[in-house]
Amino acid sequence: MWLTSKIKQVLLVLKPGKVTLNYPAESRPVPEGFRGQPAWDHTKCIGCGGCANHCPARTILTRDLCPEIRILFYDGARCMYCGRCADVCPEKAIVMSPEFELATGDRDDITQSLELFMLTCQRCGRCYDLEIKNAIDKLDLRGYRYDSLEARTVIRRSTERFAPDVLGETEAYRRPERIGG
Amino acid sequence: MRALTYAAPLINALVFLLAAPLYEGVLRKLAAKIQSRQGPPLIQPYRDLLKLLGKQTLNSAGSWPFKLAPLGAFAAALAVVVLIPFGGRLGVFAGRLDVIVVIYLLTLGGVAVLLGALASRNTFALIGASREMVTMIMVEPVLAVTLILGAVKLRSLGLAAAMPGAAGAKFTLATGLMLAVYLLALQAFVARQPFDIAEAEVELLEGPFIEYSGPNYALFKYAMMLKQMFYAWLFVSVFLPWIRTGIYPADIVLQLAAMLVVFLLIGLVGSTNPRLRIDQAVRYYAVLIVLSLAAVALAVKGW
Amino acid sequence: MTKDSLIRTLRDGFGPALTVSEGATPKRLVLDIDRTAFRAAALKLRAAGGRYMVGVGSDERDRRGAFGMIHLFAFDKDGFTVALRTSAPAETPEFDSIAPEIPAAGWTEREYMDLLGFTFKGNPKPKKLILADDWPAGIHPLRKEVPYNLVPPSAEDVAYELDEAPEGTTTVPIGPFHPSLHEPAHFAVYVDGETIKGCDYRGFMTHRGIEKLCQTQVSYNEVPFVAERICGICGSVHAAAYSQSVEEAAGIKIARRAEFIRTIMLEIERLHSHLLWLGVAGHLIGYDTIFMQSWRVREPIMWLSERLTGNRKTYGMIVIGGVRRDITPALREDILGVLKKVETEVGGLKDAVLKDTSIHRRTKGVGFIPREEAEAWSLLGPVARGRGVDIDVRRDHPYAAYDELSFDVPVMDSGDVWGTLVVRLLEIFESIKIVRQALDKMPSDGPLLTEVADVLPAYRHGLSMVEAPRGESVHYLITGPENRPERWRVRAPTYTNLQGVPRMLLDNQLADFPIIVGSIDPCFSCTDRVLVVDGRARSRRVFARSEIEALGRGRRKP
Repeated sequence: MWLTSKIKQVLLVLKPGKVTLNYPAESRPVPEGFRGQPAWDHTKCIGCGGCANHCPARTILTRDLCPEIRILFYDGARCMYCGRCADVCPEKAIVMSPEFELATGDRDDITQSLELFMLTCQRCGRCYDLEIKNAIDKLDLRGYRYDSLEARTVIRRSTERFAPDVLGETEAYRRPERIGG
Repeated sequence: MRALTYAAPLINALVFLLAAPLYEGVLRKLAAKIQSRQGPPLIQPYRDLLKLLGKQTLNSAGSWPFKLAPLGAFAAALAVVVLIPFGGRLGVFAGRLDVIVVIYLLTLGGVAVLLGALASRNTFALIGASREMVTMIMVEPVLAVTLILGAVKLRSLGLAAAMPGAAGAKFTLATGLMLAVYLLALQAFVARQPFDIAEAEVELLEGPFIEYSGPNYALFKYAMMLKQMFYAWLFVSVFLPWIRTGIYPADIVLQLAAMLVVFLLIGLVGSTNPRLRIDQAVRYYAVLIVLSLAAVALAVKGW
Repeated sequence: MTKDSLIRTLRDGFGPALTVSEGATPKRLVLDIDRTAFRAAALKLRAAGGRYMVGVGSDERDRRGAFGMIHLFAFDKDGFTVALRTSAPAETPEFDSIAPEIPAAGWTEREYMDLLGFTFKGNPKPKKLILADDWPAGIHPLRKEVPYNLVPPSAEDVAYELDEAPEGTTTVPIGPFHPSLHEPAHFAVYVDGETIKGCDYRGFMTHRGIEKLCQTQVSYNEVPFVAERICGICGSVHAAAYSQSVEEAAGIKIARRAEFIRTIMLEIERLHSHLLWLGVAGHLIGYDTIFMQSWRVREPIMWLSERLTGNRKTYGMIVIGGVRRDITPALREDILGVLKKVETEVGGLKDAVLKDTSIHRRTKGVGFIPREEAEAWSLLGPVARGRGVDIDVRRDHPYAAYDELSFDVPVMDSGDVWGTLVVRLLEIFESIKIVRQALDKMPSDGPLLTEVADVLPAYRHGLSMVEAPRGESVHYLITGPENRPERWRVRAPTYTNLQGVPRMLLDNQLADFPIIVGSIDPCFSCTDRVLVVDGRARSRRVFARSEIEALGRGRRKP
């Protein structure tokens, strides 16, 4: 009983042969529609900021240096490759590339930054997109909060709404100290 | 000829030290084959040992038994392989010693493991040690009986008499029974699944060896590989004595080839069985002991 | 007990203290009760056959000057749920504990002691559950005044006090890092020889603050992606449960085709999850060949998901209002082809596993709990079905497209790890069956995504249950004014099942610890989801960081 089940098992497991690949020497191709690293096409981007507005990881930032120049900054270190940015982009300027081997020692390797020249109104000197109510405005999302990507930190110590001295006043809490002095 | 008698122990040591990691590699490759994966290269165990030996020696328990235990285990394993009549050639020691020494040295190796485990003062090591102890007590008799079987037949405990195929030279009922018992106990001898209970990776995290790292751990590993190879040799030597030509180098090669088959068997059983619980294993060992005692009784009767 | 007779009984018992109202759908019953009768009403619901799901505490001081507390019960036979609501004034958030009678409520109560500063009078184990040992007392992170990214300074001299070890036992510390636990959690196992005589659990070491984050930072549409990352294995389940709870709260009806695609994704997820579990279970009993072979069979499913959704895991398929990608006719053929292959391979695997006597020896009679206790602990999913409790959300409270599909719910009476193993193996075939049916019955066209209004009504309640591979996942949602949830409570199945583990371990061998804990398919990260916590693990002996460094360098402590 035991022996026959074992022999059957051995026959069963020998059938498929070797299935693992000698990665990284050889690797499987990624399928169509794979969500790898997003890539921006600067010729198509109109700087609407829809991607920044919909990014669940809040890893895309738009900022205006001056009325004519808008910076679009993407920090791949926090990206979760959901492809939401590519979905909402009205100009299809973002594609999810098949790149997934993104491990790197340098954060800048997975960072993309676009400097966009924004066309301004001859009369008032501001960008068209900021003024005119059009479909792009719908990309603005209520309740969305930006992160400080310039600081490029994940956790901050505290915020302006919470006084740090509250911590000191709480009972049953001693400051860090060493055991045994 | 006399020079060869003196050289034989050296040749033993050399062959065992060089080949033991290779057999380990064979086991890993076979497991990979059964698990449909590529598996590590055959020489991976050599690399592992070299890597471990090149690391810093840490004495995490801070006591001398902890430091000495790996040396003890390795020395005992090496002493065993030096003594045995490998390739059918009686070395300078084999003629003067008896099987009791071999059993003693094997037990010493086990005791060194226990010593290291107890010295490391780690809960998992202690549980591993208690399991190791139970295993030793239950499995040692089976080994002893295997060796004594030849002794009973030839009325001598000498290594020369008991080991090289005396038991199998004339195939009797006792030999057959012992052969079966030996095969059933093989996984326990080499501490492979289903009897890698003391090390039990998922529950005890390598049990007795949990606190060891670097060269100390390498010594334990090496000792385990040597022991593993010894048990494979013992099987070949005791039960398949007809594998011999009389020419020394050819006999070595033949025995190594036969041991490879034993290792394949170990690997096959090891990768198609879950680990047993210690209580289940003890019941299993108890049956083996009874069977091996029966074999002795048969041998005494001359069957 | 039917809904009407239940209402009648409760009205008789509590009179004017109780207000009965309809929930978002006829399947949701909402009972508002005075705080003094809260405990009595909860016990009555339990006695009437209600299965305790989870409690939801919320900080509603800015809106009505009170804290809210809800106990959720499910009546599986009759297919409805009961939300028992009460509130406590902001100054004295005190409630009577129901944990002595309903053990499954123990963690809920301890959670809100930590996170909202509630007091539950009579809780049998009022210890810290969620917050780190060195978290300052008096700061309750789910309260609204506490910022989501608060990081108090850490302390090195505070440790969790483990339960008193029973007489004559030694403590084996399993975790926080241990090969049989795939995520950090700490079990202090009290053993007598090799027999387990008790166990204390200290987990919640991987808190990410997901609930707080989503209540303060992101908006409705982003939450599904965050929810998906609650669990690496059953991500779609959380995304679906969250989306359904928003849809229920806001009264959104999504397209039928989208519901079918959700169903298919959920079942594909179950397929891969069960195969993953089988592999892990094999590894835990030291049988690595099962591990490798089961994962080999699972791999085509991962590739299929990659083709369907763009990724092996974290599909990102399910959003509020529907799904993101379609199943085209070509993909339909693809799915059917993969299913066929997987079915044959799993068939072979099933025979090999179920007929292997050496596996019987390691699983039969291990982790035994009788059916009554399994019900008392509210065990879920295959863990419960392996112990004779016939529950399955897909059948009892149908969601997505499950009402149109027919499938069996395998139940085993053996009450041990073996039962859960068999149930899971059989469920693989049921899942294949469901996907095939869904592909057949799916409407051939229709929108994938229903347009959702820009502003969702605030302070509506939504409840959704989804049968994850490990059991029922519960999401409770209160909509908020700022286009984000006011309160979002996630209860993963492991949260409940893990509470029953100490009972399963009792009187078993230490060697069976890995497989017993493994048998609930534990997902500690699912359970740990509430707060940004620096969960540094501590065993009973506390090391200062400097000491550990000294140890690491080989120097001995003086």
